Order: sequence, then C-alpha cells, then structure tokens
Amino acid sequence: MDRRSFLKAASAASILIPVIVKDVLAAKELPLVSVAEGTDYKAITKKAINAVGGMGRFVKAGDVVVVKPNMGWDRSTEFAANTHPLVVRAVVEECLAAGAKKVKVFDRTCNDARRCYVNSGIEGTLKGMKGVECKHIEQERFKKVVLNGKFLKEWELYDEALLADVYINVPVAKHHGLSKLTLGLKNIMGVMGGNRGYIHRSIDVALADINAHLKSQLTVIDATRILTAHGPQGGNIADVKILHKVIASTDIVAADAVATTLFGLKPSDIPVTVAAYRRGLGEMNLERIKLVRV
Amino acid sequence: MTTARISQLLFLFLFLVLFVQTEYRGVDEIDAAVNAFFRADPLVLVSYLLATKSWTWLLLPALLLVVATLLLGRFFCGWICPLGTILDLVTTSISKNRPIAALKGNLKYWLLLPILSASMINLNLSGLLDPIAILLRALTFMLYPLIGWAAREGWVGLYHLIGERRDIITPAYKLLHGHLLPFRETIYPLAFLSAMVLLIIIVLERYEERNWCRNLCPLGTLLGWLGRFSLFSRLPKGLCGDCGKCRDLCPTGFDQDVLAREDCILCMECQLRCPHQRITFRPFVSIRDSGPLLPERRVLLGGLAAGLLLAVPSRFRLPEKQSRLLRPPSVRNEDAFLEKCVRCGECMKVCLTSALYPAAYQAGLEGIYTPVIISRLGYCEYNCTLCGQVCPTGAISALPVDAKRREVIGKAVIDKNHCLPFAKKIDCIVCEEHCPIPNKAIRSRVVELIDPDGRRRRIMEPYVVDDICNGCGICEYVCPLEAKAGIEVFAVKNREPIIDAIDGMAEKVRFEAGSGYQ
Repeated sequence: MDRRSFLKAASAASILIPVIVKDVLAAKELPLVSVAEGTDYKAITKKAINAVGGMGRFVKAGDVVVVKPNMGWDRSTEFAANTHPLVVRAVVEECLAAGAKKVKVFDRTCNDARRCYVNSGIEGTLKGMKGVECKHIEQERFKKVVLNGKFLKEWELYDEALLADVYINVPVAKHHGLSKLTLGLKNIMGVMGGNRGYIHRSIDVALADINAHLKSQLTVIDATRILTAHGPQGGNIADVKILHKVIASTDIVAADAVATTLFGLKPSDIPVTVAAYRRGLGEMNLERIKLVRV
Repeated sequence: MTTARISQLLFLFLFLVLFVQTEYRGVDEIDAAVNAFFRADPLVLVSYLLATKSWTWLLLPALLLVVATLLLGRFFCGWICPLGTILDLVTTSISKNRPIAALKGNLKYWLLLPILSASMINLNLSGLLDPIAILLRALTFMLYPLIGWAAREGWVGLYHLIGERRDIITPAYKLLHGHLLPFRETIYPLAFLSAMVLLIIIVLERYEERNWCRNLCPLGTLLGWLGRFSLFSRLPKGLCGDCGKCRDLCPTGFDQDVLAREDCILCMECQLRCPHQRITFRPFVSIRDSGPLLPERRVLLGGLAAGLLLAVPSRFRLPEKQSRLLRPPSVRNEDAFLEKCVRCGECMKVCLTSALYPAAYQAGLEGIYTPVIISRLGYCEYNCTLCGQVCPTGAISALPVDAKRREVIGKAVIDKNHCLPFAKKIDCIVCEEHCPIPNKAIRSRVVELIDPDGRRRRIMEPYVVDDICNGCGICEYVCPLEAKAGIEVFAVKNREPIIDAIDGMAEKVRFEAGSGYQ
C-alpha cells in the first residue's frame, strides 16, 4: 500500500469505524423482550424467562431473591387484579432451580393484607415450598432512603427489597384510573412505605425516582389475563380479557412498553413509561426493542 | 377439685378460645365465636324479647338455659359464667373486709328492673351490665390490644436489637401472631372505662366473696329468680345448730341462717366439705322456702318506672354527630338496631380493618358502646361479612357476601375545599383507585384549567356516583391528605341496598352532570 492509498483508507476508516462500531454496539444493546403464549401458565412463564437468558443469568447459588408480585387487592385470580399465582410460582421455582438460598414474596397490600395474601391465591400456591417466604409487610422494616429524585427527595422503602441480591418484578398488566395502566414500573409501589397516595400528584416522575433507585433485574409481566377497565382492582369479569401471555425482560421500560400494546395503546400514551424512558431507565420505542415470541 | 370447678375452668377456657377465634384467621366464615355465650344468655334473651317483641332462633340456646334453670336452679353462675370463674380464682388471694350493707337488699332489683322496663320501650341496655359483656369489653377494648401491643413492641424491639437475625424465630412469631395475638393492636375509646368496670367488680371481692354475683349482677338476679322454681333443693335448708360451717363455705347464699335459694349457685361446696356428710341436693319442690316471689311493690314499681324515666331522656343526641354516625353494614334502621344490639363488642373485635369502635358520645347516652364506623381509621372491607356472622342477636344481619356488598352504610361526599384536584389543582384520585365497586362509585373526569401558577393543565376531578356508593369508607380511609380527608362518608336515612352493575343508570348520571367529560 502506498502512502496515498493508506491515508485515504485511514481517513475513510476514521470516519466510518466509529459509525460502524456505534451501530454494532447499539444493535447489541437493543433490549430483548420475550412474549410467551400458551395456556400452561407455569410453562410459558419459564419459556419467557429462558428466552431472555434464563434465570441463571440473574440468580446465583446462595442468592437471596425478592419476587414482588402484585397482590394488593382482595380479589380472586380471575378478576386480574393480582398477579396469577401460577406465574408467581413458576418464577419462584426458577429462582430455586438457579440455586437461590431464599426467595421472599411480599407486597404492601391496599386491602387487608390477610385477605389479599389468601384470596390472590399466592400465599396458597407457595405454601410448603422450601426456602420460600411469603410474609406480610412489617412496618419496622421500612427504611428511609435518600433518592434525590426529581419529585421524591427521600422515601421509606422496604429493606428486604433493598437488601436482596436479586429483585424480580412480577406485575399483572391492568388498567389504572390515574396512570392509565399499571405494569412493572408502578408495581414498585408495593415496596414503598408511608403515605403512598402522596405520589399520585406527580406519579410519573415519582415512579421514575423510585425505579432509578431500586432496579428490577428482571421484569415478568403477567398478561395471562388483563384488566381493561375499572382498574386497578376491577371486580367485573366483563372487564377481563384473557390473553394467555407472559412477558419478560431485563429492561423494565421495554417490558412495560410491549405490554402497553396489549391494551391497544402506545408506550408514549403512558406518562409513567415516558418519564422512566426520559430518565434513562430503559427503552420505550418499540422499533428499538427486540421482540422474541416463544 | 370439684366437678363444678372443673366445669368452670372448661367454660372459661372455651370462652377464651372462642374469644381468640373471633377474628379473621384466613377463612371467610367463622364457625365458632364467642357469640355462643351471648346466644345462651337469658338476660340477652329477655331484653331482646321485650324490646323487639319478636322471636329469633339465634337465641334458642338462651331459651334452653332458661328451661334448664327452671329445672335445676341457678347453676349457670357456679358452673359456666366466665366472670364468676375469674372471681372465684382471684378471691382466694383477696383478704376480706365486712360486707357493704348498702349493696344488700333490693339493689340488684334496682339494676335488673330498669333494664327490663327500658327494654319495653325499645332501649335495650342489658349489655351494659351483663357480666359476659362486661368481661368481653374489658378484654376486647383493653387487655387484648394491650397484650398484642406488648408482643408487637417486643418483636419490633428485637428487630432493632438484632436486625435480620430475627428471621430465625420468625416462624414461631408467625404462629403466635397467626393464632393467638390480635392481627393489629387497635386503640379503642372507652377502653379505660371498660377495664375499670371489670376492675371494680374484682375490687368488690375485698368486701365479700362473689359480691357482684350475689348483690348486683342482673343476669344472676334473673337466673336466681328463675331458679326459685327449680325442682332441686338443698337439704337441710338452713344451717345446722351444731355446726354452721356452711356459712363460710357458701360463696353466695348464706347471708341468713337459711339458704337463699335464689342465690345458691349450686357449686356444691357445702355438700363436698360438710364434716358430717349431712347435705344433699335432691328433687324437692318448695317455692315457699325463699322469700316472696316478687320484690316488694315499692321496688317493683320503682324499678320499672326508673327504666322508663331513664329511657326517654337518654335519647338526646347532638344532631351534628348524627351526620357521621355510621353503623355496620346491614343496619338500615337506627331504632331497630338499638333494640337488638347488646353492646358486647364482638363486631368491633372481629372487624377486619378496625373500622368499628364503641360509641362514646356519638349516639347519645342510649347508644353508649354501640358500634360505629370511623372511616378515617378503618373501612368496611368489600368482601368481608364477619361482623354479621358474630353478632349474637342479629342486630347486624349475617348476610351472604354478595348481599353484604350492596348494603349501604352511608354515602361518600367530596369536600372541594380539601380534595386536592379541586383545592390545589393537582392530580390525585387515590379514592377512585381504591373504590371496590366493580363499576366504580367514584369516577373522574378530565377538566382543563389554569393552575395557581397560571399554567394550563388537565386535571382529573373525582365525583361520586351516589346510586352505587355503599359508603364502605375506603375512599376516606386512603385519602392521602393529612388528618381530615377530602372525601368523607356521611350517614343517610335511606339505606336501601345499591344495585350493583347499574352501568346504564351511571351513564345517565354522567351525561346529566354536564360537560367536561372525556
């Protein structure tokens, strides 16, 4: 190669390579969201998790894992107000299979905790499992955490969630009067102490504040059946749509974005999703999400 | 130990077990609750019959106890009554002064007769002085929360001491908390008064054994009166000239040299401990043995008149308190409720969310200790039917869950001076989120407005659909404002059950209410 052609090549490369590298990197970073479909809810949950790398990617032997379903309401499974017990069970089983020392399942409920734990079916489905704990929230375990967020400067969060090696977010996809939908980002409210209703005045920013502090390593959204109206607790079976789907992703915003489409809405319609995306918590543009159907 | 004492201890144990059972422990139905004791309580029965002038099968056990008392005598007090048992257990360690003369004589009738006559004009006060109710209230309002509080403080203190390591003994605590301790430690109004009444009854043991039972207790007085017709008698009827030990042995009946039949609680102590083996209890009808059948006319008429005089003035109520006087679900008529409620406190004990409290002043003097809902402290859980299940007299109806959900407690009203979207022009609608009615009795409309900083904003303003609001109060309970809520439940006269799923009607309301909807 003579000097001239080298210079040509070098200059061309100096312009092109960063572009190529950037593209390659970006392609690598495209968040992966899996959508599994089927009537065996335990099987599709496991499939969805395997499609994003399997539980072994998150849970190491000896880990303490928190699995946080939505079981905030005194409603039975078919009303789609709480995460389906089989989905929770499947996630817990995967954690144990990956070697988790202890799996803790809890939620700060809206109705009476005893009734929610029982009637959601979640306490029952986990009964007798070794290494699994399904306890009511204990007030003394809330710890004041400095968030330095845009709306919340500090808030009380549940220490079991903060101390866990892995935090897995397992919401049910449903309608919500204020935030339009409640998915993974909003399910984080179940580890908030104090007067949670306070954050409703700026719920999108507040939820970004909390999710920025407490990251969900894995989000598994239960869309086996979704609540399309009168959420978040429903109560009318006519508002429930059966989809037989489970969504999983390491990117909570992407998982929420994909789940949003199940309601015929765009991710940009959901202020909570938009605020989290702007905060850099994940990807909400569907064309920049790699969707895997299994 | 005597047979009577064994029976006493068994019933006291049963009472305590049922007391602890009177709580949600994971199933919707409570099979056995402490209401069993009230259903078998003749004083509750008589006052119920006089007040409502109607019969209820709920109180059949009480009728059976009346029959048993007519046959056997006042055995309830010596064999069953848990308060009597507690007095027997503590009295041995209380040294005695001389009996109080003022308590003797007709005082017990001055307590029983006004209760009965007040019942006749629809004021059922039996629960105020019923021994089982007194014991239950002291336990429910004072002792049980106190025990729960102490256990909780210990448990929390342990966490602050050793932190996560506390988890090792979590299963043990969970077992204790799940089966023995109260789920939450509620602080009740009138707790102090309730405990004081029990304490005074115990302190009275300083003067005489079973002082309350023989001189005051209206249930005991009623049972004693019924027991006069009993087919059993103690022989000999009085003290023997050469011994007289019975006077010391007898806990209730030997104020004179002849046994007062109406005061004999059949504990059989005299028979068991007679040094001469002279005493027997055997079938022997003799009504004439013990004093006149009715107390003297002065007492009879005075006692009855006192009840009438008491009942009317105690009806006074402050009108402004009535607007917030919320009764448990299924109570549609205040007067009918007061006729039946025995103020035992069971509904308050069992209430899932600690929404029910004893009325101290809200319902006037006549309503003291009756249950009221304080929605800011607790709400009526949509799918819960426990208060109706444990009410011994049906003052709160035992309804299937779908019927109970439609029962109206009151109606929610938004206070625009406090409610955030109205007062501060910021989003909230926590109330709508929590409203359990499937079609939402609280809804919201989007309005465009200029906020205090001059910016154009879209805010969701809540509104209440009266037709389907059952007044459960969860909206008031969860309202995130401090202290006073922006939405409150107010009492209503018309408590016809709501028709659920009346979406058509609700739609109509929506359009009539004007523009501004999304």
